[in-house]
Amino acid sequence: MSENVDATLAPQRLGPPRSPISRLLESRLIGWVALAAALLAPFVTASPYSLNVMTTAAIFVLLASGLNIVVGYCGLLDLGYIAFMAVGAYTAGIISKSFELPLLFTIPAVLVMTILAGLIIGAPTLRLRSDYLAIVTLGFGEITRITANNLSVTGGPSGIFGIPGLLKIGGLDVENPAVLYYLTVLVVSLFVLASARLGKSRLGRAWRFVREDEDAAEAMGIHTYKVKLLAYIFGAIWGGLGGVLFAAHLSAVSPQSFIFLQSALVLMAVVLGGMGNMRGVVIGALVISLLPELLRDFASNRYLVFGLLLVVVMVFRPQGFWPARGYERERATVDVDPPAVATEQGR
Amino acid sequence: MKTGTRKTVLLVIGAAMVLTTAGCGGGLLSSGASGAATPSGPVKLGMVVPISGSSAPTGAYMKNGAQLAVDEINKAGGVLKGRKLELMVEDEACDAQQAVASANKVVSAGVVVSVGGYCSGATLPTLPIFQKANIPMIIPAANSQDLVKQGLANVFLINGTGKQQSTTALAFMKKSGFTTVALVDDNTSYSKDITTETQAQIVADGSVKVLLNTSVTAGESDYSAVVRAIMAKNPALVYWTGYYQEGGLIINQLKKAGFTGKVMVADGSVDPSLPKIAGAGAEGVFATMTQTPDTIKGAERWIANYKAAFNADPGPYSTQSYDAVRLAAKAIEDAGSTKGADIIKALEAIDGFSMFSGPLKFTPEHTLSSGGFVILVIKDGKFILNALQP
Repeated sequence: MSENVDATLAPQRLGPPRSPISRLLESRLIGWVALAAALLAPFVTASPYSLNVMTTAAIFVLLASGLNIVVGYCGLLDLGYIAFMAVGAYTAGIISKSFELPLLFTIPAVLVMTILAGLIIGAPTLRLRSDYLAIVTLGFGEITRITANNLSVTGGPSGIFGIPGLLKIGGLDVENPAVLYYLTVLVVSLFVLASARLGKSRLGRAWRFVREDEDAAEAMGIHTYKVKLLAYIFGAIWGGLGGVLFAAHLSAVSPQSFIFLQSALVLMAVVLGGMGNMRGVVIGALVISLLPELLRDFASNRYLVFGLLLVVVMVFRPQGFWPARGYERERATVDVDPPAVATEQGR
Repeated sequence: MKTGTRKTVLLVIGAAMVLTTAGCGGGLLSSGASGAATPSGPVKLGMVVPISGSSAPTGAYMKNGAQLAVDEINKAGGVLKGRKLELMVEDEACDAQQAVASANKVVSAGVVVSVGGYCSGATLPTLPIFQKANIPMIIPAANSQDLVKQGLANVFLINGTGKQQSTTALAFMKKSGFTTVALVDDNTSYSKDITTETQAQIVADGSVKVLLNTSVTAGESDYSAVVRAIMAKNPALVYWTGYYQEGGLIINQLKKAGFTGKVMVADGSVDPSLPKIAGAGAEGVFATMTQTPDTIKGAERWIANYKAAFNADPGPYSTQSYDAVRLAAKAIEDAGSTKGADIIKALEAIDGFSMFSGPLKFTPEHTLSSGGFVILVIKDGKFILNALQP
């Protein structure tokens, strides 16, 4: 955390981490450990299947970290988040297919399109609150999918297939699943880091304020409309880039991949992991994307088992695996000695 | 001190991870592809079909059909001098992402031939995966023209294509004197393919008039909008090319609205549950379909075997899946090896292999030379062969 953080607004730790385990979990190194684990994973198993599953999981982490900005930080319930991924994937797919360009060069266009999509959905609807916003985003998600299903430029129901790879430089073939995996992990970890840093920035604190009490935030001089729109735009960018990686990974984009269930799964990853806590969200995303694959042995019952496990988790960890610390605790417990905070910060 | 402890713990975790890594094979550094087929041991066949989701019943029919063939071949001594066949079934749930994961899974497991593929939209993105691994695909059900258009050497379709189905549909319309028709699809790859083809062929032919060509959204329960549109045009025949859940509802709602024309459905709607969903409107509904065991003469013994093995009736694509496995076994036997390139050559050379849909010979496009489509009609809640064939 930077030194010039305004201590009154910063998410405060209400007590020193107690056990060695929680101290370890609070460590900033945990991110590096996770990255190292991701980088070492292909040395353990590198079959096309496991690489495929791991790449899918990494893309899912990117999506969840994007949605975490919108839902976790800013508290805007978005039930159609997958639409941004659809916009990104289709933009990348269409441009790279019609101009025979590697997907990497479509990123500027993807950014423009997803920001535009974020503005289109955000600008008129962000004056709405809670339930109403959720309904509009739900509609936006379905509109995007059904539009893609009916347009001929998006390939209709078959979608777009045979999309060229992400990049081709000399002998380095990015279509090789292992190379694509590493590239995905690199991009995703950068964006997860960016999302976590964003949450601790001035803007991030404004988001939290809006989430806790929008009227109070407005009274304190935060331009809530602008701040919420920014949350949407950042979320859209994350989703759009997830779409580019998705297109590179599957080499095909079809409307069936952007059904409401997908939006719900990303939201579930954020809620399950712990809204607002980037580390929790990463874990949530990994669980949501990997568990159905691990449960494949249950065949037709696997989603039943998956659902049951999720219910069990939410019964025992109602705040998610790893809830954001500091502002979840009851006010009554605030009376822990404040110097501990000071030493922790001044260390 | 505090920092020191933390670093030690992290170091220990790191070391443990490196050790675990070194202990495992199959990683990037280990030599040899993990999926390489062993020269002895079972010959694996991969089948990626919907086991979950709304198309799950068909997935079960296909799985059982394939398993029956595997059991029969193994009982008769297997392939390649006594090697057993082994069927590996994975779920696609009609979704591209899951299909790709499943396809990668069966490729990793070292399958020799793929005998799956039901939803065209989910099968399309799996083509490059099997192609890269040089694994021949015998696709028993998916039949979108898009699969053919890819022009891949390893892809063989043993279901008639959308084009062949459209030809049969048009021939039947002309023969039974339907002059006006409404084409309705559900906007899935497979369904749209048939309406597009049928429309093109009708326009080229000129003797039948298309009054309406529209799409509905799959998975809804109220289709009154499309029913009203059909009633307004009042065609002699409605040709529904989607799957049976929506088809049944549309037929039901058409009947309730007082529609007096006839309805014809394509092969995706031919399922024992269609008459149940459609209710009173089901009687007299026509269907374009490849032969099913119910309609093939002399298939009673096959049906009895199927019932004995799975304690259930065979359904759509049970026979095609059964044939796909038999065809795979025959090609492996002909090729004398489990190498993809050899099997593809053997498949291309096959001439007159007897299947439920008739003797098999592939066209240069790797589709059936004749689609084998017939017209079925619902009578007493069951699909039977229609008296009038095109």
